[in-house]
Amino acid sequence: MGHGGANAASRGIAGLPFRFQVVAALALAVIGVIACVQIGMVFLHVAPSNTVSKEYGKAVDDWIYPEFEQNWKLFAPNPLQQNINVQARAEIKMPGGTVRTTDWIDFSAQDGAAIQHNPLPSHTEQNELRRGWDFFVGSHTDDNKPNGLRGELSEQYLRRIVMLRLGAHRDGGTVDRIQVRSMTTSVKGPSWSDEKTDTRPSYREVPWWTVTPADLPGGAGDARTEAKR
Amino acid sequence: MSTYDHDGPTGRPAESPAARTANGRHPVAAADALPDASKASDRTPQAPRAAEAAAETRAARAVRLVSAAALGPYQSAVVRIGFSATWLFFLLRELPNRRELYGPDGPWSWDLGNRLVSGNHAFTALLWTDSTVWFEIVYALAIVSSALLMLGWRTRTMSVVFMIGVLSLQNRSVFMGDGGDNVIHLMAIYLVFTRCAQVWSLDARRAARGVRQDRVGPVLWAVCGLGLLVGTWRTSGSGVFGGGEWWLWVVFWGMWAVQGLWWVVGRFADGDSRALLDVLGNLVHNAAMVVIMAEVCLVYATAGWYKIQGSRWQDGTALFYPLKLDYFSPWPELSSLLGTSGVIVMLLTYGTVMVQVAFPFTLFNRRVKNVLLVAMMLEHAGIAVLLGLPFFSLAMIAADAVFLPTSFLRRVGAYAGRLRPGARLPEQRRERAEQAERPRTLVG
Repeated sequence: MGHGGANAASRGIAGLPFRFQVVAALALAVIGVIACVQIGMVFLHVAPSNTVSKEYGKAVDDWIYPEFEQNWKLFAPNPLQQNINVQARAEIKMPGGTVRTTDWIDFSAQDGAAIQHNPLPSHTEQNELRRGWDFFVGSHTDDNKPNGLRGELSEQYLRRIVMLRLGAHRDGGTVDRIQVRSMTTSVKGPSWSDEKTDTRPSYREVPWWTVTPADLPGGAGDARTEAKR
Repeated sequence: MSTYDHDGPTGRPAESPAARTANGRHPVAAADALPDASKASDRTPQAPRAAEAAAETRAARAVRLVSAAALGPYQSAVVRIGFSATWLFFLLRELPNRRELYGPDGPWSWDLGNRLVSGNHAFTALLWTDSTVWFEIVYALAIVSSALLMLGWRTRTMSVVFMIGVLSLQNRSVFMGDGGDNVIHLMAIYLVFTRCAQVWSLDARRAARGVRQDRVGPVLWAVCGLGLLVGTWRTSGSGVFGGGEWWLWVVFWGMWAVQGLWWVVGRFADGDSRALLDVLGNLVHNAAMVVIMAEVCLVYATAGWYKIQGSRWQDGTALFYPLKLDYFSPWPELSSLLGTSGVIVMLLTYGTVMVQVAFPFTLFNRRVKNVLLVAMMLEHAGIAVLLGLPFFSLAMIAADAVFLPTSFLRRVGAYAGRLRPGARLPEQRRERAEQAERPRTLVG
């Protein structure tokens, strides 16, 4: 029969000598178990909270996090039905010592403009501010108190996103404080629906933040929209 | 030939002469093997004795099936090409924004990343140092490894480097990603365990050309070992090994050791040892392919079953709303046009849910599965344009591709082969690769 190699190529484990069959059978068992556990754990991770996942929640989390974390509730159970615009305004300290406050600047609208008619939108336009605000909302109480570490991280993240777009120097002065708010507008229902939608915007305002050097990302020296004077 | 080779009922609609040989050398897609299994179990032999023998035969046949060959060579290749190409295009598209997305001085600063990761212990080489030079090196490595994985050059090694690139960038800035990044993240890990370069790769071409002195392999292996050593040394101080990510380091070092073992065994050991390694490689590959297929099913099942519970998916208007979101309407004129017809919106809304919920179950019927596969790929192509999510859609299409039928993939391969003047058909190349006693090289 010649080489075992050619033999095993068509017969698999059966074509191996006995001592190797033992090794291969053991490997088959271990690999099979790992694959089944992986599939089972991912199932329990994506399934709604249930009897089994409540009982073994810790084991599931230990297996899944951080590398196998996933969320496939894509536009589910309901798609987002509101446009959430994140806006900010700044207090600018002028060289003469006077302070002036800018109007609200709509950074989500800027994102939207960048996405429009763009076949390849960037994550910086599509995800950065949108998910950054989600992160902030998800890690804060309704009255804007941070929940632990994630809350603190999200605040600085939001400040850095805003400062990158605002620019540390603006209108001839230095940005001293910023305030962020979100404007939520419900999407008007479709024309064929007789549902009444209140499309008046609602606002969530975050208290003023003083800008520190840690809030300035690389490239925040100049305003993005206006050249430094 | 063993007794169970051809006697058993196959009941598989012949896809091509090659598929019919069924000697494990031309394995059909693992997905395509599914209907087979279901049909086999339908046949209950009359006599109890015959049933016993048949059961034994089936078990033996199953073991042979998963150990004799790395199933779905075309499917694993197309998944490899799909995901590496998606990630490569993404990295190239974001080249101007790379520092803002993942750099040490981006909005999600190195310090913020460090504080988050010290809690969840996710793997990222970008937190080893806050140097911009290091960041640029990692980004460049991610681009190069994606390109080389796509081409199938030293595929196993590149798949590990590719995974390191994906995890490093994504875990560095988790809040920059979306569903597309998520699926790339998972598949980058699973792909490491597959033999995804059996076809459509430079590795397969090199193997087909026959034995040659391999100098690149050992050099690459030594470089990887050095890199791993530095990485391990850099990480060992941070307590990450205790944080649940130790298994990744087992994978890194294990893969490295196995590459060396292949080389040694290929050079010095007997045919039996090589056959054992081959069988082990097949077992791991086939398990990984099952996990990949199950993962895709879970994605669609989750997406579908949660939608059923939503009032907007029930009243048939769900699709209308994303079309009106500023972040997801790059072509507002097109979105508005689609949003004017209540009937079309409802058909698409219901169709989406039905397809997503039904898909996993259609795997038991080849024809229905293929119809749904086309529907899902078309829907993702639509999402790419309408919702402005090209990379998410590309990634999902690459994931769907694991279920494409072998005959179709071979036709595509043959067609692509003809586009190149003087090129041999992939099948011919593959057959030659099989005939040659495959040289086992380092990092091959």
